[in-house]
Amino acid sequence: MLVKDPKKEFYDKIQHQRVLILVTFDVDALCACNILQYLFQCDQVLYTVVPVTGKQDLENSFLENSEGIKHILMLNCGATIDIIELLQPDDDVCFYICDSHRPVDVHNVYNGVQVKLLMKDEEMRDIPDYDDVFRDDEDDESDAESNDEGEQLSKRKRYSDEYILKRRERRQWEENRNKTLFEYTQFSSFGSSAALLMFEIAWRMSKDTNDLVWLGIIGVTDQLVHYRISREKYIEDVMTLQSHVSRHNFKEGPENNQPINSLKISFEDELQLTLYRHWSLFESICKSVTTACKFKVWSMKGRKRLHEFLAEMGLPLIQCQQKYSAMEPSLRNNVKELIQKHIEKYGFAPEDIVIPSFNAQYGYRNKLCASDVVLACCALLESPQEKSQNATDSFFQAMDILNRKNTKEMEEALNMAKKQIGALASQVQTFLDMQQVMSAGPFLYAFVQEGTLEAKCLSKPQCLQRLARFTLEAYSAERRSKKTQYLPLVLGVPLDAEQQTSLVIGIPPLNLDDERKNFFGKAFEQAAVTTNSRTLHNYFDNYILQMNTEDRGKFFDALINLLQVSLSLSLSLSLSLSAFICASP
Amino acid sequence: MTQDKIQSRVELTLYRMGFLDSSTDDKDIPPGSKLELPFWLAYALCSQKRRIVSVELPKAYRESYREVMKADANVVNLYKLGPYYYNFGMKLQCFSFPEIDDVSKCLLSTFQTRFRKIMDASQNIMNEDTSKLTSNLDEMEKALFKVGQKSLTDFQLWETRQVEKLKTSDMVRAHRKRKREDE
Amino acid sequence: MLASKAFELIKELSRGNSGSLSPYNEDCIRQVLDEMKSLYEQNQKDVSDTVAGETGLFSGVQVRHAALERNKRCLLTYLYKRLQIIQEMRWEFGSVLPMDIRYNMCEQEISWFNRYNKMLAVYMRSIGDSGLDLTQDMQPPKSLYIEVRCLKDHGEFETQDGNIIVLKRNNQHFLLRSECEHLIRQGVLEHVTN
Repeated sequence: MLVKDPKKEFYDKIQHQRVLILVTFDVDALCACNILQYLFQCDQVLYTVVPVTGKQDLENSFLENSEGIKHILMLNCGATIDIIELLQPDDDVCFYICDSHRPVDVHNVYNGVQVKLLMKDEEMRDIPDYDDVFRDDEDDESDAESNDEGEQLSKRKRYSDEYILKRRERRQWEENRNKTLFEYTQFSSFGSSAALLMFEIAWRMSKDTNDLVWLGIIGVTDQLVHYRISREKYIEDVMTLQSHVSRHNFKEGPENNQPINSLKISFEDELQLTLYRHWSLFESICKSVTTACKFKVWSMKGRKRLHEFLAEMGLPLIQCQQKYSAMEPSLRNNVKELIQKHIEKYGFAPEDIVIPSFNAQYGYRNKLCASDVVLACCALLESPQEKSQNATDSFFQAMDILNRKNTKEMEEALNMAKKQIGALASQVQTFLDMQQVMSAGPFLYAFVQEGTLEAKCLSKPQCLQRLARFTLEAYSAERRSKKTQYLPLVLGVPLDAEQQTSLVIGIPPLNLDDERKNFFGKAFEQAAVTTNSRTLHNYFDNYILQMNTEDRGKFFDALINLLQVSLSLSLSLSLSLSAFICASP
Repeated sequence: MTQDKIQSRVELTLYRMGFLDSSTDDKDIPPGSKLELPFWLAYALCSQKRRIVSVELPKAYRESYREVMKADANVVNLYKLGPYYYNFGMKLQCFSFPEIDDVSKCLLSTFQTRFRKIMDASQNIMNEDTSKLTSNLDEMEKALFKVGQKSLTDFQLWETRQVEKLKTSDMVRAHRKRKREDE
Repeated sequence: MLASKAFELIKELSRGNSGSLSPYNEDCIRQVLDEMKSLYEQNQKDVSDTVAGETGLFSGVQVRHAALERNKRCLLTYLYKRLQIIQEMRWEFGSVLPMDIRYNMCEQEISWFNRYNKMLAVYMRSIGDSGLDLTQDMQPPKSLYIEVRCLKDHGEFETQDGNIIVLKRNNQHFLLRSECEHLIRQGVLEHVTN
């Protein structure tokens, strides 16, 4: 059930109770969790935070930690699965779900007692009507009863007209139900950031601080960086946040009144160059998706054009290749204006290169923009682990750098992010150089070679998402044919050499960019079922799955068939209805 | 420190004590032979009341070294002169050497000169290797240096509000670390 | 050399570092005691010889007496210093010492530790109306509740209100400070501050 008044229906309910918080491995969830922890600490609500990597982990963590706990909060997980069915909780356990994954499972939506959804009202419009998906099954029960009780009764019934009519009506309803459900679940997409929602709850209770605003900003930025929400939605959220920012950062009197080590957030148009403040300008341009693809930096010609561009702006190459912070101040202070002024000539739209964003500053040195934090945090979250380490170690390391006092750790994390992005860019280059991006007809696909150095850093869901997107954009920039704009991409990366598993992601074509809807979740599910492939749909993002590398061939054949059918049916990209029904027993 | 050797001269025959002098096999040690006795033994055998042995001032406290200290105490490696240079020097007060007043004066002034540097270093060195510096210090100076460093880090922790953070006890941590190494 | 064994004991003490207790060196102690015994007997003999009229033995007696005193001092230091370490460990490790440390203690030391434990408990119970745990709040507390992170799988932990919490590596909890202070000191939990 959707929560209308989070304070009354959520926050007041959990006062003086112990709460179990289950958090997924993404930056948004981390931020939301941090906000909540702050709130709970203010009000002395006892809680336990448990990071969960996937559905299996969710189940285990619930079993392990649920003893005596009546209130369970889920951050960026759980909405898309029927949580009651999966976890089989006691009747008095209540779940609060704050998850940006869509679509929300209908069982969760219509469970009024045990499931409370912390989501924005206006995002819940397209949910099927209750009557369309559920029937108050009196008939059903009587049906079942009669079957049990005695054949005779049912025999008589079966032949009566009334009964036949009922049957037909029921069949029709079922067909209709399947259709509605199918339409509802075929695309996975994302709603508002969990961190933003949590921040708004804090704000409603007048408990918001500047630090919490910053966390909200990071959550929203994470959604943009990982292509979860469209630019429009992002800007909408940013505008909301901007009002909070100006409220908290308004100073009276002279500016130096504020202590230097307090947090100051400012709203600014930000260059969309990855980590450029912590890198050299040149590196950053080569490794940012948009600029790299527009300039095609992987070719000689592209490099030349980039040099030309830099020359035109009057930035000496030497200056661009050294650390941004060590650039000559007179140049550095003008970089943004210069780039904005000259870049249009090179086929960029203004919105390609700048985006409204926020900067945070505390102390003299530490100026960070929101996307820097997201990337650093993400790099930590998905850092390749050594054997002795647990995946959850990195979770809390990532959580620690959100605390702004840990500047040293932050710097290390930024370096890790650079490494990760470097691996990403060089992988894209390999794809292009070796022509490893292939067309399978209805979609493109590519595989990261096993055993490469990069494969290890890249075999993580969030990073894979960025890699897929980078690859697709780079490929379509290289090809230049319009057709690539309409093709989705499936990308695989080896996960575990011993167990022969790989991680596979599907992302929608570029022309559907504004919707940010992904149909691969259902398609993967179906392809796996029809071919009996050994797959594991463990991630909360259903368009990412683990599969046994040997099964790749048949899985892909099925996927090709499936997408071809749906294309030929010109149902834009939806899958065939019958196939759906057989996939959902 | 009370085990430190001191050069002594035997005044009275030590019967059946030949084992004290490893250079002879004789049963007794005759008067006039020179022995290196540990301080505690020399102390017991050389006092106003009984003069079984007489003692010499150890080298590190003699005139020549005192001159060195006077010249520049800061550059001397005190640890080499005796890990417990000051304490041993003070213990020597119980023997009635004629120059003992000079020794104590010298100890004091040495400490005064060196202390300035130790204090300065202990309050200002952070996150650096101090082993080179501390290798020149005698044990007492080392202890002082440590205390200074601790006060510095404690202050820093207080400034960054980390004092309120509860920590695993150092002893437990050390114990666990050793256990892991053993495994 | 006289009293050299005793000096070894002292050296052993100064080598020991925090968090450990070297094995009770019974062997060495026995040797020291043997040495003392023979020194004493020799002195007895020399004294009775002197009484019988022999002269010049006085200096030898003096040497041996000094050695006896020296040995005694070293032994006492050894024992006392070990007790001090054990006492400190009661405050750091809690009322139950790790097995490997217990193993290095001699029988008397163990019984001393148990008595110390009991005395401390009795004393702590006697403070105020309902007793006061002196090992708690070693630093003045800032808040009733604190945030902690599990550093290792510790198993179930029952809180004062009867709830059971599973302490599993890399879970984070918000708990009563008084309940987890011991676990933090023992390195099971880490205090998270921000």
